[in-house]
Amino acid sequence: MDRKELEAQIIDMVAKCYSVDASTLSMETTFKYDLKGASVLMVGLVSEIENELDAMIALQDAAACETIGDLVDKVQEEL
Amino acid sequence: MSVLDNIYEKAKANPKKVAFPEAENEKMMQAAFETGMEGYIRPILVGDSVRIKELIAERGYDESVFTIVDIADEGYKNEIIAKYVALPNTVLKEKALGRRMENPLYFAMTMQAVGEADVTFAGIDNTTGDVLLAGQMIIGLKEGISTVSSIGLCDIPGFEGSEGQLLAVGDSAVCTNPTAEQLADIAISACDTVKGLLDWEPRCAMVCYSTLGSGQGELIDKVKEALAIANEKRPDLDIDGEFQLDAAIVPAVAAKKVNRESKVAGKANVLIWPDLNVGNTAVKLIQQFGHADAYGPMLQGFNSIVCDCSRGAPVSEIKGNIVISAVRASAK
Repeated sequence: MDRKELEAQIIDMVAKCYSVDASTLSMETTFKYDLKGASVLMVGLVSEIENELDAMIALQDAAACETIGDLVDKVQEEL
Repeated sequence: MSVLDNIYEKAKANPKKVAFPEAENEKMMQAAFETGMEGYIRPILVGDSVRIKELIAERGYDESVFTIVDIADEGYKNEIIAKYVALPNTVLKEKALGRRMENPLYFAMTMQAVGEADVTFAGIDNTTGDVLLAGQMIIGLKEGISTVSSIGLCDIPGFEGSEGQLLAVGDSAVCTNPTAEQLADIAISACDTVKGLLDWEPRCAMVCYSTLGSGQGELIDKVKEALAIANEKRPDLDIDGEFQLDAAIVPAVAAKKVNRESKVAGKANVLIWPDLNVGNTAVKLIQQFGHADAYGPMLQGFNSIVCDCSRGAPVSEIKGNIVISAVRASAK
């Protein structure tokens, strides 16, 4: 899977887990300031990545990602 | 009869199936055996069955007290995976769940989710973070609840409150800096927890450094907002505030400071702290200066009971927490 495809997939997953419109998200969207989600939403996102991409990301690693782009980097390392 | 005696009696009347994913641990196996042998629970040991059986024999326990579940039993594993993925609102799919279930903690929680066990008891080898993550992934949060949290039950010598020496307090262990919505959910979960465990009619006070507007500022605004959310979400519960601690639990202070009707002021049996800085410090003050025993933390907010015991806990404390968990599971 190329980078662009992975970015698009993860944007869709973030949109689903955080209940936001995917068109409002980019690689620069921050979890803390833009999405302001509770940690339970991050658990859902990590599970979704595991379900769809077969990549196990530790919750603390995902929670340490400032932006969606950082999370894509982490997933790419795992694939 | 002490509070724990009462809880032990309730457990014995209806022993629940408790899954132990850290069964090989010596203290955990002893606590599981003794609570099972004494009739408080029906212990299920989850893990490598060959190794578990060897350890049971080595340690001289009667194997018939336990049900043993082997996580390598593919037939049983596939059966509970099929049941799990058919449940509504689960987050893990078949393949990801199967991989997670190589870990006994996830295996046991999946058994719990599908009704093969009533509660999972862990935390002696796994960290609190491991248990919370597995709980959120497999058991999930109760509908309408936004955060996991905890309460503790304090038995304070000399305290003459509305439940005698007992007072439930939360959150002192899990949710660090709750938003107003999360704080409301902590209060709601705490009321449900004490109702289920102790049969109390909860009178829950949201405490901070102000009583009904005596102080102002953003720290108080959060507590007021949380109170409004809690009252709107659960009008059936007596949750009130904002109160200072003395106005919440001392009738004479409440009479002076709370100039309106309140079912809670002066007679609260549940206190909700505004954040974890307050909660953690407050519990330590109660323990150090009040010489109190504090039971818990009891995790709350999950779809069913998830437990995390302290990694340094002695067997006696583990047994108490197992029995508390079993009684909470029967109240669900």
